[in-house]
Amino acid sequence: MGIAKKLDAIKNNIPHYWPIGSFIHHNPLKGFEHLSFRDGVNKAKKIYGGKVYMEPSYYLKFYNEGKISHDILEENLKKILEVDGLEEYYDLAMKCLIEVNPQWNHLRSCADSKDHEVDEDLIAYLDDQFSYHNKERWLKQITKHMTLYEINDILFYRDDKEVIEKSIIEYISRFLDEEQTTISMPNREFGMFETFKLYEDFEYAYDSTTFVEEALEKLHVKNKERYLLTHILKLHGWAGFIKYRSEDPEYYSQQKYPSSLMDYMAIRLYYELAYLQHRKINNFDLLHDYSLENAAFVILKMIKFKYNLPGKYIDAMEDSDNYEDILERYVQEELHLDAKQVHLSSDILKNSDIPLVELAKIMEVLREEEGYIWMKSLEDTYIQSFINEMDLGEAPQQERALASATLCLDVRSETMRRAIESSGNYTTYGAGGFLGFPIAFVEFDKAHEQILCPAVLTPGNIVFELAVESDEEYKAKKTINKTTKKVISDLKNNPYTPYIMVEAIGWIFGINLFGKTFLPQKTNKFFSNFKAKKPKTTYTMDKLSNEEIEMYVNKLHIHIISEALLSNSSKKYSTKDIQAIRDHLILDGNLSVEVPSELLTKLKENYNISVDDYKFQKQKLSKVGFTLEEKVEYLYNYLTMIGQVDNFPEFVILSGHMSVSDNNPFESALDCGACGGSSSLPNNRALCMIGNSQDVREEIAKKGIIIPDDVKFMPTLHITSTDEIEFYDTDILNYKEKQRFSIVMKEFKKASSIARCERIKQLPYTNNENDIMIKSMDWSETRPEWGLAGNMGVFAGPRESIKHMSFGNRLFLHSYDHKLDNENSDILTRIFNGPLVVGEWINLEHYFSTVDNTIYGAGSKVYHNVVSKIGVFNGNYSDLKIGLPTQSVLLEGEAYHEPIRLLTYMEAPLETVGKAVENSVAKEFILNEWIRPIIIDKKAKKVYSYEYGDFKIIKEF
Amino acid sequence: MITDNIVFLNIVFLLLSGGVPYFILLEKSDSFSAKSIFIVSGFLLLTGVIISFFTDREYMTSFVLVSFFTALYSIYRATQTTNFYKLGYYFIFMNAPFFILFEEHGAFYSLSLLVSLLGIYAIASFYEKHYGSANYLYVRGITLATPLIGIHITVYLITIGLYPPLPNSLFFLTHIFNSEANALWLVIVITLYAGNFLVSMRVLEKSIFGKKNPNIHYVDLNFKEKITHFTIIVSLVLLSIYGVKEILTWA
Repeated sequence: MGIAKKLDAIKNNIPHYWPIGSFIHHNPLKGFEHLSFRDGVNKAKKIYGGKVYMEPSYYLKFYNEGKISHDILEENLKKILEVDGLEEYYDLAMKCLIEVNPQWNHLRSCADSKDHEVDEDLIAYLDDQFSYHNKERWLKQITKHMTLYEINDILFYRDDKEVIEKSIIEYISRFLDEEQTTISMPNREFGMFETFKLYEDFEYAYDSTTFVEEALEKLHVKNKERYLLTHILKLHGWAGFIKYRSEDPEYYSQQKYPSSLMDYMAIRLYYELAYLQHRKINNFDLLHDYSLENAAFVILKMIKFKYNLPGKYIDAMEDSDNYEDILERYVQEELHLDAKQVHLSSDILKNSDIPLVELAKIMEVLREEEGYIWMKSLEDTYIQSFINEMDLGEAPQQERALASATLCLDVRSETMRRAIESSGNYTTYGAGGFLGFPIAFVEFDKAHEQILCPAVLTPGNIVFELAVESDEEYKAKKTINKTTKKVISDLKNNPYTPYIMVEAIGWIFGINLFGKTFLPQKTNKFFSNFKAKKPKTTYTMDKLSNEEIEMYVNKLHIHIISEALLSNSSKKYSTKDIQAIRDHLILDGNLSVEVPSELLTKLKENYNISVDDYKFQKQKLSKVGFTLEEKVEYLYNYLTMIGQVDNFPEFVILSGHMSVSDNNPFESALDCGACGGSSSLPNNRALCMIGNSQDVREEIAKKGIIIPDDVKFMPTLHITSTDEIEFYDTDILNYKEKQRFSIVMKEFKKASSIARCERIKQLPYTNNENDIMIKSMDWSETRPEWGLAGNMGVFAGPRESIKHMSFGNRLFLHSYDHKLDNENSDILTRIFNGPLVVGEWINLEHYFSTVDNTIYGAGSKVYHNVVSKIGVFNGNYSDLKIGLPTQSVLLEGEAYHEPIRLLTYMEAPLETVGKAVENSVAKEFILNEWIRPIIIDKKAKKVYSYEYGDFKIIKEF
Repeated sequence: MITDNIVFLNIVFLLLSGGVPYFILLEKSDSFSAKSIFIVSGFLLLTGVIISFFTDREYMTSFVLVSFFTALYSIYRATQTTNFYKLGYYFIFMNAPFFILFEEHGAFYSLSLLVSLLGIYAIASFYEKHYGSANYLYVRGITLATPLIGIHITVYLITIGLYPPLPNSLFFLTHIFNSEANALWLVIVITLYAGNFLVSMRVLEKSIFGKKNPNIHYVDLNFKEKITHFTIIVSLVLLSIYGVKEILTWA
């Protein structure tokens, strides 16, 4: 197998890392989803070394509080014991789980104070288990996932790792920079490894693949695949980002400055070789020989490095070089401690029947399985109480509501939906924030497009936001702000001016500094006066004709050519000349005007005025807007997906959502996950425009959905950090409708207040509604809202079944009526393909960031600095931080988020769900139990749970 | 006669302050543990400090040079150990040139050093009692597990590391303000300042930070130990006040 294939084989072990600007929640163990959850997390544990379940004491607390049912725990324990062939030891195992395992480490630390006759058989068993007297095996285990330079550092008091990792981070952060630095790295267009050669003045004629192969040969690496993985794991955040961009052909920076994991590997190995060349041990064969000759020394050093060598042995190593003796003393003490742990456990269990070796084996199995047993029991207890509480009868017919509101299925909408329902005659629905309506959106006055749909989908339509009223004032303010920023930036970046600047205008920044710190609300209001306010806008909803497309492409090219000629030529060209140049470059027309050939080449190469670009622009513009069929299709799909096909209220409100906070690089993690970490307002607004279109209503009526003329689709925006609701496009309403709608606006305002009051109890250091408002604008606030923390499940079904239940913002709610689904379960499949995938990513990102924030999370926000505008790292250099910060999942060091798998409740017949699973992209993770599917089949009057690869009836009614 | 007296006193102070690396011999002897070397060298330094209060001093360059080489070797040895006892007496030997060079200010500097080392000694015995050895590498994560001990270690180490306004740095500054610099003075002051600072910071980083060790049952200070540390810190504060007074007198 070639080196490229070897790298391909292991790269799935690292998760994708999306740039933080559009933070996309993801399962950090996505590469393990082909395995069952239990096997996957165990394999990941071996590779990453992090925890995959909470500590037993965490679950024990829940058990003692009654949050984990004893009967369910019993059932789950029996099942696991049955699988492992240990069912006869049930009583002992239960006692072990509750009384011994939570204090297992403590038993070890106090073991030496208890006196026991140590069982010799037990010592022999433990010795074999831990390979204490098989030095070669022990060495192999202890140096697993370590690079040669790390081993060298440990053995010979070097500090190469620090320098190597720093050099790598310095280079890649500059290469991958997305305009954070003022002086960019030159020549990046050559690619990551080629630029590196120039950066290091390294003369090498071949590509990164060849270099990696040669480097591994020089290092005498036996298992190349594993060694590449070892290198990837050193900085897996950066590796994840490079992997992501190299696999996304649409990623702009990747197109401009190509990079690949192989390039990254070559850079790592270059530094490793460079630093090892003068070291005594510079290849694995030499290391092997040295380790065999000095096995005791090497093992002791490794244990010391991993902080597992007790102080007295470190002292002994300082005083003597009789390492064999020191190691033997260490081994004997460890063995006795291990044995005494078992002895003490046996005492607690009052065991006199089972031999200690047997007991040690049982306890070992239990320690491996206990995390899963506890977690599943917690999940099952939640499932049981949900099923017992939900309404299993048929929903009654509803009277016509004044308004219906569709909010994102996001957990943060749950409180809001209850608040709206309790405020008046309203019905609510839930759907993925993008509403099954994927678009690429170009905001007013912005040049780039945002992809507003789950990362697994690709939008086929582009929507532009255009001003419908004069934008003079906006432009004037924008120009002033831009100029001010530019001047300040120039003054800051000039080598001389900062000294003068601080003296002269430094105090101005003090207003912002003190204002934001002591009076955040007033300061925010004051500075908002200076911000350019966006004029009223509309969206481009209709397709462009071929003539219009030609015209726009022509305009774009003319504009670029004019700018280019201005800065590259002293000669003045008329509009006619410019048109001729353009036609010559694109359409190969005759060039009547005299233009130097270098300038023409520059226009082609540097300004991209070429046939390829012409085709590209035409193809892009052909995606603008929607055909009537597309509009009807999207609206029909949306309405049937949520089950709103008749009894339309006067106002059909579609609400997008976003979060507002200050000084928060993770802000987009709080925006709509189903819209790729952006605001979902554009999808909702565009669909409202479609819903209000007469043509669309006429066409959709032919498909059986009759929307009365008095029904208006209205877009709103739910600000999740403050629970405020903003209303858009109210000018489409006539006087009478406006009067009716003002009632809705008033009552929604009341609902906002109700939701905020409920959230006060959840957020720390929050006593009133104003505190919630301040959190969204306080620049020192590390937790502006809880976001998606606490998420535990998703319900897909009619609202009526669970309307009476309160979930404290912990449940994703997706409306679904299986009666509207076809025999292929297309609607449910769409829900699985979009919202469920996003839900699983969100859930598992929170799960792993909670169980081990060091490995899978981002650590504390307090130490974060934004790097290269793509993410954050700690201090001035570290790995790129993947996952969520501690402030998003922990509260004062304790888990706020409860790490369990997504409890996926689906109210539909079993066959419908089965077909949807079969057709869905989510099939792998559903069947491998990375979520917990629960099917409420009202027709069969049964509730099923999918576990251990089978459907199990958990309730009949 | 006067010269003989000066030479004799310099020899006495050189030995008492740790200007010669006698710890090398003691370390090789089986009868001396790191703890006893710490006690012996500390006691000798204390004797030197007491004697110096009653005698007029004048340093001789050759003796300063001897103690400087001892200090350099001690710095090297201090970077090789992770045991608080050993570290304690290496600090004594590292600071011997200051005792000799600073003349009358040297006594107060060394007294202040001794008080901070008393703190280190108390911490070392605590570690020995509860964790089996005064080695700090294994007992990491002190700040998270027992923050009070972490604070005490920090105070003692930053005192030794010459952080103002702790007393060592104040006596150090008083001497700087009151003396005339020459090449030897500059080399010694700069090297030992950096030595004290860097060794202290290195130990601080390795001893109090990091994750908790799951194999350790962390124990916090009992009432008696808290009183001991409180007394040491009060002594440091009193010395600081005296140090400030000395600086103000100079000003």
